[in-house]
Amino acid sequence: MSLRRNMARQRNIGIVALIFASVIFILPFVYIFLMAVKTKQEAALFLFSWPQQWQFWQNLVDVVKTRNYMLLLAYFNSTVITVGAVAMLVIFGAMVGYVLQRRPSGWNRVIYGCILIGLMVPPAVVPTIWVLQGLGLFKSIYGMILIQVAYGLAFSVLLYRSFISTIPRDLDEAAIIDGATPWQVFFRVILPLLKPVTVTLIVVQSIAIFNDFTNPLYYLPGKENVTVQLTLFNFQSQFQSQFNLLFMNILLVTIPPLLVFIFFNRQIVAGMTAGAVKG
Amino acid sequence: MVQSTASVILRDIRKSFGAMEVIKGIDLVVEAGEFCVFVGPSGCGKSTLLRLISGLEETTSGVIEIGGRDVTDAEPSARGIAMVFQSYALYPHLTVRDNIGFGLSLAKLPKDTIRAKVAAAAEALQLTPLLDRKPKALSGGQRQRVAIGRAIVRDPQVFLFDEPLSNLDAALRAQMRIELSDLHRKLGATMIYVTHDQVEAMTMADKIVVLNGGRIEQVGSPMELYNAPVSPFVAGFIGSPKMNLYDGKAAGEACATYGIRPEHLRLTADSPRWTGTVRHVERLGADTIVYLDVPGLGEMVVRADGEQFPRVGSSCGVAPLPGREFRFGPAA
Amino acid sequence: MKRRSPYPYWFVLPAAVVFVTLFLLPTVASFWFSLTRWDLFDAEFIGWDNYRQFFREPFLVQGLVNTLIYAFVTSGAKTVLGLLLAVLLTGGIWMQGFLRSVVFFPVLVSTIGVGITFAALMHPTKGVINLGLGLVGLHGPAWLSDPALALYSVALIDIWKGVGLATLIYIAGLAAISSEYYEASRIDGATRWQQFWRVTVPLVRPATVTVVTLSLISGLRSFDVIWATTRGGPGFSSDVLASVIYKQYQAGFYGLATAGNVILFLLITIIILPLTWWFNKREIDL
Ligand SMILES: Nc1ncnc2c1ncn2[C@@H]1O[C@H](COP(=O)(O)OP(=O)(O)OP(=O)(O)O)[C@@H](O)[C@H]1O
Ligand SMILES: [Mg+2]
Repeated sequence: MSLRRNMARQRNIGIVALIFASVIFILPFVYIFLMAVKTKQEAALFLFSWPQQWQFWQNLVDVVKTRNYMLLLAYFNSTVITVGAVAMLVIFGAMVGYVLQRRPSGWNRVIYGCILIGLMVPPAVVPTIWVLQGLGLFKSIYGMILIQVAYGLAFSVLLYRSFISTIPRDLDEAAIIDGATPWQVFFRVILPLLKPVTVTLIVVQSIAIFNDFTNPLYYLPGKENVTVQLTLFNFQSQFQSQFNLLFMNILLVTIPPLLVFIFFNRQIVAGMTAGAVKG
Repeated sequence: MVQSTASVILRDIRKSFGAMEVIKGIDLVVEAGEFCVFVGPSGCGKSTLLRLISGLEETTSGVIEIGGRDVTDAEPSARGIAMVFQSYALYPHLTVRDNIGFGLSLAKLPKDTIRAKVAAAAEALQLTPLLDRKPKALSGGQRQRVAIGRAIVRDPQVFLFDEPLSNLDAALRAQMRIELSDLHRKLGATMIYVTHDQVEAMTMADKIVVLNGGRIEQVGSPMELYNAPVSPFVAGFIGSPKMNLYDGKAAGEACATYGIRPEHLRLTADSPRWTGTVRHVERLGADTIVYLDVPGLGEMVVRADGEQFPRVGSSCGVAPLPGREFRFGPAA
Repeated sequence: MKRRSPYPYWFVLPAAVVFVTLFLLPTVASFWFSLTRWDLFDAEFIGWDNYRQFFREPFLVQGLVNTLIYAFVTSGAKTVLGLLLAVLLTGGIWMQGFLRSVVFFPVLVSTIGVGITFAALMHPTKGVINLGLGLVGLHGPAWLSDPALALYSVALIDIWKGVGLATLIYIAGLAAISSEYYEASRIDGATRWQQFWRVTVPLVRPATVTVVTLSLISGLRSFDVIWATTRGGPGFSSDVLASVIYKQYQAGFYGLATAGNVILFLLITIIILPLTWWFNKREIDL
């Protein structure tokens, strides 16, 4: 096959694939946008059509104002939960991954067992509520943060462990001879070197926690603690007749991941495919 | 910039990893200010012994004294030592300046003191223009010097080196050998240096420790080891090309092993001790290395002077210089 | 005297405390509470009653069956489509990078948002999908409101949202295959079709293991998509274990909900552990 014919062929496959992908993967997002800028009456028709009357700002303001600015509160809560949980996942996960990789011992089997359980086993929700209540953490943002940490640790530890195995032990030893305590070796030598995985972890876990619906549904009921995904779910019944506002809300929760995706594409790919090549 | 210095004394040091004993009882005195080299084949325990002295590994039994102080249970940072790693182990996220000053900043020294000490070390090692670079942007030789700089600023009494030159090319290695010897003279500190390169051992050492299978085979100055090796192992290890070693009986001697160095053999036509066929000739200019096949003994290497070129395939007579033969062990 | 290790175990402590109290402890406790009638304060031991009830009530049994169908349909489709898309998107086609992003982006989007959007798109009379099918003369079904179809429609949404992750993992797996294998097989005269079956499929196995395992686990645990679209309906036709658990929890049957949890736990274990074991065993044979 000549090179030129080959290139033409590649382009044709590309065009066909592009058309298919557009219909299947892009149209739903275009639809969200179109619905979000329509009037109430037009949105109720569910049509895939150009809005006759644009109402972008109006809808945006209406959604934000709904139920006494609930969406703003939800964004605040979701941000607090995400930032808090991710910060702990980074520090705790890296500390465990570090000891796990550097210090072989019988305990490692126990830790690997916990990681396997953490990745696989669905959380026992009602007993978890019972524990949270006992600790006074049920329906509290702190409780929610700790839950996200508990559920995200296994992935975090695995990711850090495999990265730490690429950092030569000589560095730890040089620091030890330089007089560093274990704490200083970790925070001044190892942790700064983990920056690439840490960025990956932050991005991937932030998206997961921000998008989480099930856990806040169980552990964070109540108006004052509402999160972004819960608001969306609650508005589903409230906006039965105002689909324009419902879709404006969807648009608003889709934008943060879109921005993260645009700026951190490489890290997301690294995080999502970690371990794919080696089982 | 003369530093304090201390002797290192090892008493019956042993080290096991699990069930495997790697260091099998080592007694050694390294005098203050001495340049001591550990040599031996791969896996004989050189690095392990060095790491025991540094405190990175714990001894299974035995006592380590540095400067007359028992440091067997002391932390590495409390032993007055500094170490240069084979990989250099420079912190990749820190500049050369911060790499050299890292230990001092951990010790919470005043900023001015750190600056001054780093500047002095950098000056001595010609690193001043590189101080703000990251290790990634340095050549192998420059990294090596940063690693040494990091050791110097700690004012250690004892420097430990684990094959510091093995990642450099031959020319740079020769240059660094000289620089390290200069440094040793200038600082006067004790240096313990691991290598498996016998040229490094011979050229730099005041004292060579030959290790074999976790034990000391022989300790002595380079010329002592060359002139009076106690065993075929040491004899074969020191000197280049290697000493010719033969079974005593085959060589017609009343000993277990008979040895003769290539430079102590001469090619001769009249009354040769052995006669062999020339298999290969290496011309080095000043010398010619001749490889002979001697019936009953096997290969024999002869270092002849540069004027002699026996033809490959021809027959050659060989005789040892008197008084230069080695006979090891009683006949079996 | 033993000196302290430079890698002290207390580094593990913060993580261990959180994980043990909020994950392990409830998991272990769930075995006990599943044997009780429980209102979060008092637990009355009732033996196997909750489990008996679980396997007697037809809608609970259906939830169990639906879970299996849902997990295997979504996992199978994601694996097959993911591999095909990955092969297509590593062939150097036009706009490849953009296409990869387009396929992957739904993975990052809120499941609830996706669910609501598709509920609108799949509306039986007004939905864009059926209107589109009408244009080419087809009569689209009542995707989410037909009891026979609802579960599969939800699975379709799940596949749409999740296939990008499978594709991404396969792309990484394909990138790890040396091009020399393809060159060698081409010299041996293999067709593209033969190359796919004889080179790509066997050598991309580690990625397949990851995709199958991840998608099966997430399929068995799936809740969000279902809850955002059908809430298990119509009737109980699209209920899965996770939604059953939530419904029992809402109704205050905490013991029963916990029994459902234990069943889900056991189900995942007996499917995933042998699978992992089998995959690992095959790995050594290679
Ligand atoms: N941490 C360890 N655990 C178990 N065995 C070890 C460990 N470190 C070293 N050994 C073993 O101890 C023996 C001596 O190792 P060592 O690194 O001291 O050799 P070496 O003389 O430095 O060799 P080389 O010239 O190759 O560097 C080897 O058999 C090695 O496998
Ligand atoms: Mg070594």
